[in-house]
Amino acid sequence: MSLLRIENVDKSYGDEDVLHDVSFAMETQDVEVIVGPSGSGKSTLLRCVNRLTEIDSGAIYLNDEEIHSLDENELRRRVGMVFQDFSLFAHLTARGNITLGLREVLELPKEEAVAKADDYLDRVGLADQGDSYPAELSGGQQQRVGIARALAMDPDLLLFDEPTSALDPELIGDVLRVMNDLAEEGMTMLCVTHEMGFARSAASTVTFLDEGRIVERGPPEQLFENPEHDRTNAFLGELSGLH
Amino acid sequence: MEPVALLSDWQFVVSNWRFLLLGTVVTILLTLSSLSLGFLLGFPAGAIEVYGDGWLKSAVNTVGVILRGTPIVVLIVLFFFALPIPRLGTVPVIDMQMNAFIAATLALGLRSAAYQGQVFRGSIQSIASGQMEAARSIGMTKLQAVRHVIFPQAVRRSLPGFQNEFTIVLKDTSVAFAIGLAELLTRAERLYLQPGRDTAVIEVIIVISAIYFILTFTTNRALDRLQQRYAIPGGNE
Repeated sequence: MSLLRIENVDKSYGDEDVLHDVSFAMETQDVEVIVGPSGSGKSTLLRCVNRLTEIDSGAIYLNDEEIHSLDENELRRRVGMVFQDFSLFAHLTARGNITLGLREVLELPKEEAVAKADDYLDRVGLADQGDSYPAELSGGQQQRVGIARALAMDPDLLLFDEPTSALDPELIGDVLRVMNDLAEEGMTMLCVTHEMGFARSAASTVTFLDEGRIVERGPPEQLFENPEHDRTNAFLGELSGLH
Repeated sequence: MEPVALLSDWQFVVSNWRFLLLGTVVTILLTLSSLSLGFLLGFPAGAIEVYGDGWLKSAVNTVGVILRGTPIVVLIVLFFFALPIPRLGTVPVIDMQMNAFIAATLALGLRSAAYQGQVFRGSIQSIASGQMEAARSIGMTKLQAVRHVIFPQAVRRSLPGFQNEFTIVLKDTSVAFAIGLAELLTRAERLYLQPGRDTAVIEVIIVISAIYFILTFTTNRALDRLQQRYAIPGGNE
């Protein structure tokens, strides 16, 4: 039984095909990294998994349950998401960002929610920032709160939508360290990212998506050292030139 | 032609301070009742205009357009004469005729709802869409997201617009003059229409203008404070 199974998923916006016949599966504790040029459908694919975007056809299974047969809020409780622009709740402190879901969705008592929030803030290295508001934190700190917020809901799967691409270069390291720790602890992660260092060190599988289709998929060594397709080679070459 | 300002006219206004004070009380009561009605109806109306659909949204939209497109004096006169408001008598001391007060509250309150609804709609729409998505992504329902994430931020952003609306409603309570409600302007007129007191028009009007100014100025400063107090730390609004 796979934790996540995506079968023949199609998605288009009007005339524009965004995803075409996408299929793959992830096991528990897998770290899947999706790479691909801008507009290749990476973010859309991620958003289809927690139904922020609905697919046109195909099927997606979480623990063998088709996600459209689940209540969407129940699905999202089990599938956490980390956003490119962090999207922290601007009117709440770092701690408040984490406790909101614990209180309102998981219905934990207040003390328990606060204790849990502080615990997760500690895990992302922000034990002393619980009372800070998002606008008082650096981008890297905000993103780590974003990760803690998603993690605290105790999800089966975490989605990362380009978590470091809105960050200044010197702030990326802290976020990647947290993601690497999570991978080592066995968190199942589906990541859209162009951080090739992270992909090499943490990914169990790398998928190259182009124009809504999976071009190539395999372990990072294989994709980076011996890609089967010229397109993969060209794209990864461009990326390593950039980073 | 008599001199414009006479000492005796100022003395006349001062000796009637209690009479004008009672009018001020009615003005304040009418402002509070109208703004409360406007808030209670306006904020849901703004939310419906953003999140609602179908007949409810179009109904809210149409009523808003009509209310914003009708002069306030027309509304107040219409409600006073056309609505079957029961005759509830007059409140002693402040001499406030209840059915005129209710008609004025409905007219000012409904119109204010139409404007407050627009203020709130704009505030909701100014909140980044990522806030709603982030709330939904941790499993909150749409209603929970609106209540815990969108609403607290939108209310903060609505305060400057609400401050304007407060000032407008306070000053527009004076149109209740048209239906004889004993608020500040009506009482002012009763003073200078007394036999031999037509020389005191300017003095009476200066005094009630000062009262209106003091009321708007002090409450606006108080609302400024409120805004600063609830501002989101580190934010630039």
